[in-house]
Amino acid sequence: MPELIVTKDIDAPGLDTLDGYRQHGGYEALSRALKEYQPDELVELVKKSGLRGRGGAGFPTGTKWSFLAKNDKTRYLCCNADESEPGTFKDRMIMEKSPHLLVEGVILASYACHVSTAFIYVRGELALAGRQVERAIEEAYAAGYIGKNILGSGFSLDVILHRGAGAYICGEESALMESLEGRRGYPRLKPPFPAAVGLYGGPTVINNCETLATLPAIIRNGAEWYASFGTEKSTGTRIFCLSGHVKKPGNYELPLGTPIRTLIYDEQYGGGVLDDRQLKAIIPGGSSTFILGADKVDTPLDFESIAAAGSMLGSGGVVVMHEDTCIVDAVLRMTEFYRDESCGKCTPCREGTYWLTEILHRIEHGDGKESDIDLLMDICDNISGKSFCPLGDAATSSITSSIKLFREEYVYHVREGRCMVGRGVTQTDR
Amino acid sequence: MSEEKTDELIHLTIDDIPVAVPPGTLVWAAARQAGIEIPIYCYHPKMPPLGACRMCFVEIEKLPKPPQTACTTPVSEGMIVHTKTEKVIKARKGTLEFLLINHPLDCPICDKGGECDLQDFTLRHGPGGTRFDLYKRHYSKPIPVSDRVMLDRERCILCQRCTRFSSEISMDDGLVMISRGYKMEVGTAPDHAFDSIFSGNTVEMCPVGALTATAYRFKSRPWELKRIPSVCNNCSVGCNARVDVRVDKIMRLMSRTNDAIDDGWLCDRGRWGFEFVNSSQRLRTPLIRRDGKLEPATWDQAFYLIASRIRSIADTHGAQAIGGIGSTRTTNEEAYLFQKLLREVIGTPHIDHHHGYFPVPRDLLTGKPWMMTNSIADIEKASHIVLIAADPYERQPILNLRIKKAMKSGAHIYIINESETELDRFASSKISIPQNGAGSAAKMLLKHVLNDEIAKAHQYEEMRAMIQSDDEAIRAAEEYFGVEATTQLQHLAETLVGSTGAIILYDEMATLAPGCADLAADLQALAVLTDNITRAGSGVGPLFEDANSLGARDMGLLPDALPGYAQTAEKGLAYHKMLSSPDIKALFVMGANPLRHVEQLPSKLEFLIVQDIQLTETAELADVVLPAVTFAEKDGSMTNVDHHVQAIRHALRPLPGAKPDWEILVEIAKYLGQKWTYTRPQDILSEIAASNPFYSGLTWERLGAQGVRTQEQMELNDTDVAMRKGAAHA
Repeated sequence: MPELIVTKDIDAPGLDTLDGYRQHGGYEALSRALKEYQPDELVELVKKSGLRGRGGAGFPTGTKWSFLAKNDKTRYLCCNADESEPGTFKDRMIMEKSPHLLVEGVILASYACHVSTAFIYVRGELALAGRQVERAIEEAYAAGYIGKNILGSGFSLDVILHRGAGAYICGEESALMESLEGRRGYPRLKPPFPAAVGLYGGPTVINNCETLATLPAIIRNGAEWYASFGTEKSTGTRIFCLSGHVKKPGNYELPLGTPIRTLIYDEQYGGGVLDDRQLKAIIPGGSSTFILGADKVDTPLDFESIAAAGSMLGSGGVVVMHEDTCIVDAVLRMTEFYRDESCGKCTPCREGTYWLTEILHRIEHGDGKESDIDLLMDICDNISGKSFCPLGDAATSSITSSIKLFREEYVYHVREGRCMVGRGVTQTDR
Repeated sequence: MSEEKTDELIHLTIDDIPVAVPPGTLVWAAARQAGIEIPIYCYHPKMPPLGACRMCFVEIEKLPKPPQTACTTPVSEGMIVHTKTEKVIKARKGTLEFLLINHPLDCPICDKGGECDLQDFTLRHGPGGTRFDLYKRHYSKPIPVSDRVMLDRERCILCQRCTRFSSEISMDDGLVMISRGYKMEVGTAPDHAFDSIFSGNTVEMCPVGALTATAYRFKSRPWELKRIPSVCNNCSVGCNARVDVRVDKIMRLMSRTNDAIDDGWLCDRGRWGFEFVNSSQRLRTPLIRRDGKLEPATWDQAFYLIASRIRSIADTHGAQAIGGIGSTRTTNEEAYLFQKLLREVIGTPHIDHHHGYFPVPRDLLTGKPWMMTNSIADIEKASHIVLIAADPYERQPILNLRIKKAMKSGAHIYIINESETELDRFASSKISIPQNGAGSAAKMLLKHVLNDEIAKAHQYEEMRAMIQSDDEAIRAAEEYFGVEATTQLQHLAETLVGSTGAIILYDEMATLAPGCADLAADLQALAVLTDNITRAGSGVGPLFEDANSLGARDMGLLPDALPGYAQTAEKGLAYHKMLSSPDIKALFVMGANPLRHVEQLPSKLEFLIVQDIQLTETAELADVVLPAVTFAEKDGSMTNVDHHVQAIRHALRPLPGAKPDWEILVEIAKYLGQKWTYTRPQDILSEIAASNPFYSGLTWERLGAQGVRTQEQMELNDTDVAMRKGAAHA
């Protein structure tokens, strides 16, 4: 088993308490950083580690920090823990089991970025995670890790927990800021980017929960150590959220570059496809990423390889579908999600996801037309690249990729009025 | 754009047409300059870009991920924009198709049909048909969002112009977005009424028929309307308006953007307050009192009676027994003729109208007549805005929006008022004063400013002496105001001294309150002392009440000033004196209703002429009633609160039986033996322009569509005034 970085000791009893966390080296990175590093040196260190954002876009973290506008406005850090991407549940685990790891990461990033107020935006539905992080913040305040003059360094920081009210869009960084400021969760126009004009108009760094939780290990062990994991351009490890038709769904931390096959089939991880059925398709990075066919099972799980295979590493949510999955049904389910979660700000996403759902629904239920399939593709084209924020593009990924890979299933649905695959329609069952 | 920026223009090409525009211009605006239409729904030139409707697609070379939205992209040097590429055309068609999938097909009975952006853009940019073969979404419709505005959610394309107007411009969150995604709709927040005085703007901005005005619903098809550019008659702001008329009835008023005055907005009072024009209660014939009753008469009979009674009263009691009360809502030309008739034809000095209290025609300190020294647009440049006994939201609504705009660019608002005002919630300081306390508040401010070191350096001995003589009264007032208000006023005085440009505004009528007789003069002095008269973004002045309140003053409807504030040989009786003097035997009231302000008319009054559009309380007591027409039925000029002289234009034919005031005045002059040769208001304007230094050189043509802001055109020959002005600049 390869070395774990973020999930090391994750199941250690008491890790969620300050004492438990300290017993496993907690806050060592912080005291070392405050003593040994100037903020700019930390930025350089993280740049050198090659750490890339774990939220979905995979932007290099250190570079993001160095883009912060240098002006006299108040800077902010927002931890994006509004984990809402279907198929993704890693941040939830970190917050529930090791909340101090996140808090330490938040403090480190704040120190590196000259931030004196940091917000942790936790998805509202993650009630336990919210409580755990809240308690961790309280403990950290009491222990002097947060507050005025942290560990005598002169660095002061306030950390504020904010619970989301239940909108997928608030995981989009600019909508997250709108929401934090008390407004409707609407994405903002970019530019200006948050690094220039962000929360309350100040330069703002927004990092994913897992990204921040990786920082203590990098500081404890060094950039070279971290970069020794993974591939050249996708360094380190990632927590992959394995779900769907596998024997052992769950969170597995693996070095980037590990083949999908290992994650699904290795006994330490997925342990194989459920009921040992045939693998049909994989969503590699949450429901917003393009579906890959079973032929891509040997693709290494790193940013570049997954992109080359025609999808994205995204949020790390790997969804496995076996041969009995009706792809139309699966895509309908995902599209309903995007219809319900569209914020409504822009026309293509708001109206398009509604229309797509209606059409998928009628195809799935045997009322579709053959022309519907091309219509779906064209509606997707009218949404993708035309919507205000990437949510519109995301809504189309599963549709376009599934039609490309499994067009015959759509046609079958239209012609036969039922699913082409699955136990529900086999002769023996009916 | 200012001149020095012309050499900093950004050059780009749009569809191969070279365009040069100032930096920061959006591609959409640059295209418009080049004559290229880029369709928009969410964007509105008076609001920041939103980028939501995804209609304004263009392709810009070298930018990633085409197409881009033209309303959110600023121009850059050398940019190459294409608005008609295959990608652009498809994207626009796509958006229109999306907008239309749930849009109802009730265009035939939709108020917007014929002037609907969804219809128009679909015709020019949209798909010819639809691929949507499912059931359209249905809502119950329409639902009222206020007494004045109805919402049809089926027609709404969720462009968010109305909700952004509520949040960005009127800043009252009257309309908000509710729910999300395909269930999103416009509505009101819980327990929050859409009772904004500006609500009509949301109807006007709505690109489709989703928001409609109860006042206009199902009244007309847009193509039946005659659209006449004019000016709103409701208050002293003088917002530019388009009067939409169908068969000699006003159907609605629409805004007609004048950046210097209304910034594109119109308030509900102006927009929908035209019922008096269409009213069935209008006077349609002259009336003469016979046997104690007002009975219809011919114009000849009325004029004959007027001429003979005026002559006989003048013969018996002297012309001094005749008084004239003019109007704040008739045109400059009519006000001018009115005083000319009384002064020159009848020969009486008793002329006035209902207005605020200003001690003398011109402020002694600055030599300026009483009017705002700043322009409306200057308000945006102010660092501090002081509203003392003024409530623009209620009285000059569109100025409230200008103040909010100033506030957004950093101005601090100070409100001194005995009541709550709409702007209180934004005020840096709300100074609550006792009833009628504005006069004392002004004196306290003056006292603190005079004590300030900077002011001490100047020689304001007279003023200092004056304030010192009031010292006891000021101390008593401070006691009465209490510590909080007194301290706030002191802070404000200090702030004003250090401000980079403060504008001090008060309501004209506040000067009439007990203890407020010095309000105008004291505030003018305050502005001089704090150097807030001439600097950019500074100023002082009264907020007038009516559409031509300032014009009435300019035209000499004052007992102590001739047109242009020239000195009178003989001072006449002022409004209230005239209305209570037993020596007044005949009264000519034009476009005014004195019984609103006094209990009764002069006790020995023998003859009363009232010229008005309806039978007012005063007209009911008249011996002769002359039917006049409204602003919508005549031409002429009016002068607004910041001295923009603007043209009003006849939108309807005069109500049969009624005449414009100026025509009536010309006739009366004729019956009194004076041959006036004016054949149209323009002739009168020429005479005004030739003699009144505030109107020097003005012609009807020059007034054009947007009016002219005129100032006094003469050297101040009073050296004392010039010297004092110099001192204020030092």
